[in-house]
Order: sequence, then C-alpha cells, then structure tokens
Amino acid sequence: MWLLLLTYACLLIVTAGISWRTYKYASLPVHLRWELYPVAHEIGRPYGGSYLEEQEWWHRPRKINLLGESSVFLREIIFFREYFHSNRRFWSFVYPFHLGLFLLAVWVVTVLTGSILTLNGMSVSAASPDFWLQLIYFLTLVSGVAAFILGLFGTIGLLVKRSFDKDLRNYTAPIDYFNLTSILLIFLTGLLFWIIEDPSFGAARSFIQGLITFNSPAIGPLMTVNIVLSLLFLAYMPFTRMVHYVAKYFTYHKVRWDDEPNKPGGGLEKKLQAQLGQPANWSAPHFQAGQSWSEQVRSDGFPDKAEK
Amino acid sequence: MKRRITLKDIGKLEGQMIDNQKAGLSALPAPFENLDDQPDIKELTASQKAKFDISLDGVSAIGLVKPQTREEEDEFVKKFLSGLKKLLSKENNWTFLQPLMLSLENCAKCQNCSDACPIYTESGRQEIYRPTYRAEVLRRIIRKYLRKEGKLLSKFTGSDIDLNYKTIARLAELSYRCTICRRCAQSCPIGVDNGLITHELRKLFSQEMGIAPKELHQLGTVQQLKVGSSTGTSPKALASFIAFIEGELEELTGKTIKLPVDKEGADILLLHNAGEFISWPEHVEAFALVFDAAGIDWTLSSKLVAYDSVNYGVWYDDVQLARIATRHAQAARDLKVKRMMVGECGHAHKAMLVVSDRVVTGDLNIPRESAIPLLEDIVLNDRIKLDPRKNSFPVTLHDPCNLVRLSGIVEPQRRIIRKLCPDFREMEPHGVDNYCCGGGSGFAIMDNANFADWRDVVASRMKLKQILGAFKDVMSPEVHKYVCAPCSNCKGAIRDLLARYELTEKHGIHYGGLVDLIANAMVDIKGQFIRWDEG
Repeated sequence: MWLLLLTYACLLIVTAGISWRTYKYASLPVHLRWELYPVAHEIGRPYGGSYLEEQEWWHRPRKINLLGESSVFLREIIFFREYFHSNRRFWSFVYPFHLGLFLLAVWVVTVLTGSILTLNGMSVSAASPDFWLQLIYFLTLVSGVAAFILGLFGTIGLLVKRSFDKDLRNYTAPIDYFNLTSILLIFLTGLLFWIIEDPSFGAARSFIQGLITFNSPAIGPLMTVNIVLSLLFLAYMPFTRMVHYVAKYFTYHKVRWDDEPNKPGGGLEKKLQAQLGQPANWSAPHFQAGQSWSEQVRSDGFPDKAEK
Repeated sequence: MKRRITLKDIGKLEGQMIDNQKAGLSALPAPFENLDDQPDIKELTASQKAKFDISLDGVSAIGLVKPQTREEEDEFVKKFLSGLKKLLSKENNWTFLQPLMLSLENCAKCQNCSDACPIYTESGRQEIYRPTYRAEVLRRIIRKYLRKEGKLLSKFTGSDIDLNYKTIARLAELSYRCTICRRCAQSCPIGVDNGLITHELRKLFSQEMGIAPKELHQLGTVQQLKVGSSTGTSPKALASFIAFIEGELEELTGKTIKLPVDKEGADILLLHNAGEFISWPEHVEAFALVFDAAGIDWTLSSKLVAYDSVNYGVWYDDVQLARIATRHAQAARDLKVKRMMVGECGHAHKAMLVVSDRVVTGDLNIPRESAIPLLEDIVLNDRIKLDPRKNSFPVTLHDPCNLVRLSGIVEPQRRIIRKLCPDFREMEPHGVDNYCCGGGSGFAIMDNANFADWRDVVASRMKLKQILGAFKDVMSPEVHKYVCAPCSNCKGAIRDLLARYELTEKHGIHYGGLVDLIANAMVDIKGQFIRWDEG
C-alpha cells in the first residue's frame, strides 16, 4: 500500500512541478526581439533569410510555415541533429541516453495500455490470438528492453565523459554526478528486474492495474527498488535543470524563432505600451528615480546629474 | 604545464588570470606562420597597470579603476547584487527576462558551444573566454547569493564561488571579451544563449553601476543624445560634410548632385552610420550616386541623433537603446516620410529593425527596412546601367553578424555581388554561419589602453584567416582585392586588421562597402569609383 501512496504522491508532484515550471516561463513578459537565424518558419529561405530581405515587407501578408517549423523542431528533438553535426562523439552518448528516456516513456504508455486491456478481460501476451494485443505485448517488450540498454549505455558514457574529459569536468558539480547516477540506477535496476523477475513485463502491468484499482500488487524486490527510485527521481526532476525539455519549447519558439513584428495598433503593441509604463528603478546616473520606462526614454538621461 | 583555470579562480586567483602570449594563440596561415611576423599585444605601462584593473588578462576594455578602500570594495559588491536582483525582476528587466531566465536555468554544460566561439578557439582555448565560463560564474553567484543556498548545498550544486571585488571586476571585463555574435547560441541544442548572458551582464554594469566602456557610453550614446552623433558630429558639422561630399560628387561625375536633407514627405529617410561621413565619405557618395541615378525619393535628416543610425545601446543598455530608437523614429515622424531605411551598418539593422521593433509604439511605429533589398532591386532589375567588367578584381564578402545571423538578411547582398563581380569568392563558413569580424558589440570603436591590440590579435584572428583563405591564390600586391563589408563597424575592424598585418601594402587587400561596388560598376562613372590608393 505504501508504494501505491508513494506513486500517487510522486505523480502529483511531478505534474505540479512541470506545470509550475511551464507556467513560470509562459507568464514572463513579452520581451524585445532576439531572434536567431535561420528561423524555421520562414518560407523559401532555407539559407536563413528573413522577411527583412523584402522591400516594404510590411505591405505583404506575413506567411509562416508552421509545419516546417514543427518539422525542424521535431527532427531536433528526435535525432539530436545539432550534436550529431557538431559533436559526433558526444552525440554517441547523449543520444542513446535521451533515446533511453524517450523509450522509457513509450514503455510506460504501452504498459498502461496493456494494463487497461487486461483489466477489461483481454490477455496481453505473445500467445494472444488478437494481433493488436500481441503488438502491445511486443511493443512493451521492445521499448522497455531497448530503453534500459540504450539508457544504461548512454548514462555510463556520459558519466565517463564528465569524469575524464577536462572540458566537461571543470563545469561538472557533484549534483550532476548525482543526477546521472540516479538515472543510471533506474536503467540498471530496470534491466535487472526484467532479466530476473519480469521477462514479459506482466508484473509491471499488474503494478499499473493495482494503481488503477487501488490494490497492492505482488511485485519483486528489484522491481520495487526500480519503481521507488524512478518515483523519487520524477518528483525531484522538475526542480532541476533536467527539465530543459520544457525550456526548449520556449527557447526555440519564444526566443530564437520569435520574429513577430510589432504592427501599429496590434495586440503586441498594446502589451508593449503597458510594459513601457512600468517603473524602471535602475540606479546608474542616466536613470531618473521613480520614472517609468516611457518617461526615462523621453528624457535624455542627464537633466540634473553631472556625467561621471 | 600551466594549471587549468577553474570557475572558482575568478574570485580567488591573485594577479592576472591569464596572459595572451602569441605562442599560445591559434596558428596563422601563410604569410604569418612565423611568430615574429605577428603583432603583439602591448603590455601596459606601470602607470596604466597601477590605474586600471587588468587582473583578468592584462587588457583593459572598460578602464575600471581599482577601489582604494575595503569599504569601496564592499559597496561595489553590494551594488552588483542589487543590480542582479533587478536583472531578474519583471519590472526592471521585462525587456529580456524570459530569454535570460531560460538561459540561466537550462544549460546542460555540454560545452557544445565552445568550438563555435572564435575568441575561445583563436585564443588557444583560454578557459576564461569559453562561452560558458562567464555564464556559469553568474549562475553560481545567483544560486549562492540570491537563492541563498547554504554552505553544504552550494558545495553540492557547485555554487561555492566567492563574490568579492575581484570576481565582479573580472566579470565586468569578461563581459567585453565576447562580441555577442551568438554563434554559441546557434550551436546550442537546448537554445541556451550565452551571448545574451554577456549582454545582460553588460546591462547590469551599465544600468546599475554606471560601468561601461567610455566609447559606448559617454562618447557613444550620451554624446549622440547630447551632440547628435557618437562621432561628435553636430548638425553644423554635418552640413559641412555634406557640402564636401557634394563637391567630390561634382568632381567625379561633372554633375551637381545635391544630397537631400530634411525633405518633408520623402519616400525614404536614409540613416547612415555617421562614421561614414568622416571615415568613408565615398560610401555616402556611392549611395547618393546610385539613388540619384535610380530616381529614388529620399532624404537625410539633420535633426539631432537622426543623422546617425548608430545605436550602441543595443550592446549594453536598454534605456539608451530605447532613447536613441525613439529619436530616430521622431525624426521620421516629423519629416512625414513613408519609411525609414538603414544604410550599411550591421548593428543599426539589428537595433532599428529587430530589437527596438518592440520599443517604438503609437505614432513612432513607422515602417523600417534595410537599404540592401532596395539596392538589390536597383541592380537586379537594371534600374541603372552597370558593367560588371569594371569589377573584375577578386571580391569576397564579409557577413556582418547583425545583418545575417541576427536580422536574416543574407542573400540580397550576394545576388548583387554575383551579378556585379565576376571573381566573387565566398569566405568559409559564410551566411548565417559566418564569423564575426572581431569588432562586434562595440569592439571596433573601443580603444582603451591595449584593448585594440587584443581585438586585432585575438578577436579578429578568425576573420584574418578567412580573408587570407579567400584570397590565398591571388596574394600578389599587384592584384587589387576587395573585402566587401556592408557594415561600418565591420569596416572599421577590417581596416584596423588590414593595417595591423600590413595586408593592403604588402598583399593588395582592400576593403569597402557594398554600394561602393555598385557605384564602381556604373557606366556613367569614368574609370574606377573605388579609390585603391586610399586603403
């Protein structure tokens, strides 16, 4: 029963943590433009051009290729193309590491699906007469085993690289080793419980069924260790920089590719006008105490003070 | 073997953290393989050393004067922390808070950005110049001193860094060892932007502590707001420059070409970097020639600030940026022009078209664009008579970071050059992957103590290699070669680089703008418009 309660609590924390982090970034004020080319939604300018290459660009309707933008973003997320092109050696560890994490998520989804099907009286196994049930069974098996093996390989590689590569070691703090070791233990215990206790992942499905029906499942000690480690890690992760997958949406879509022009009378202009009305309480001599951004801008900055 | 510099060293190490001995820098290709043929970074005099804080690398960019008492040092730290708090607040830094928070909180410290930085690689991989070094120091200061992590936790998270005068003085200098070219940001898979962190550090120093290089602040934005231009050019002086330019144009063409000034209701208000009037008047002439021949309805402004497209605020201070951007727009509004157009100045492109797009609102939100697409239209649509045979010399194109990577204006200038210059050769890499000229973010005009030496030897080193690479088969001084740099600051940096390595004199490498190449190809101009004897 304690394991069920721990699971509910940790799932609640991770959901709240990620939501909080997302809200925190999303609620920050509209900033000045700081895009970086190539901007993925530009049409017909694969070399990195912008609408500023056109004369009187403001007379033309702004066309954005959202599909192209999503495709570039997804390819980066799925294949880690930037590392692949610029640092192949690092990619050979960081990619399996992240692929292990992606596959772990896929595995959880397949286990959850299998559990729901089992609860509805269907049999998820290799011997199942239904093709789709067999597919779920094999997807669970392949994603789980691949996740553990790739993740383990990648994590060990990253740990070794962080420990021995001087460029990385100089910037690696104890917390980074702690994080990587925690993930390594999750992959390792996952692999071990699959080999020793649960080769078909039937026990994993029982655990999820237990979560749904609020019944304590009978699972082995290795799997218990794996679940506890995974849960504690999940509850901890949103409060660390490991949640950079949330940030990545914002760094790409809200900074790097945010080239939205400030059209006269548009909604963006209204937001900016409100922000320009806020106080700017900086202390250097060219700021006037108590004035808003707009007031600061109207003055030349040195009405009364002598320049240092 | 030298001990490797660590993050904690910034607040601990006595004396100078590093030196920039040329033996340690990256190797140069022919004809500079021999160290004796390479210039040095001058060591400062005893009085300069006593005056300026050079504890970072023996170079002084900002002319920081050392505090005399412990109380002054404590006050310095206190001010820095107060500025840091403001930098992280919505009211005081709404302008960049979202990108800043994203970059501060999500770096995976994979160092993928290091090899993208030409200052880091060309310095011989000096640790302090690594893009993550200053950013990581700042992150650790925030964790330890603003989030108040205890001793144990700060050891665990790696934030046990000392915040003292030394740390801050070195950080201040270090914020001027990055040209904010943002190649590092381009190479980050997460989208972390260490160039932005440099920008924000500069803002903290300027907006809270009043610390900025004099060339950017007192002689830059402040002078522009007071006198009219960062060059010190007053409206009266502008009138005499214009008279001189008109005289030269008459001499060259035999025609009277008047530069329109304060023409109300003109289609275009053209804003040049005022440095052009002083250092490269032929560039202003070229614009006038081409616009006149193409029948463009344009004007210059004689209003304070508005005859200088320069906006140094974009590199170090948001309020100075906004003040200048606003005055540019006010001049356009008062002249009732239809559009504002930036001449060949990279940072003015970024400032006017990109960054301050979200500063000017209401009746100041006047359409703004680059002059390069108009030049492209004139050339590619044969609006004037041009003969590419007049540009038969080897030409390479320098891509100003602010124009390509930061404004997305990449191809129009290439289409012009491909049409007009039969011997065009690209630098490698180019376009949005280009390297900075070394003069970015104000470096081209900064010359405190030995900073210009450092810029030419370290910051511009990669550009030197690219230029040499582009012309390696035609290095004879008899062959005139042209580095086309459509940006005043880049031209300034390239001018100094060519002079430092005697590349014009010994190898016939010249530099100039884009419109100069168009003017040179004009069939109406007898002979060459480009004056090879002038550099």
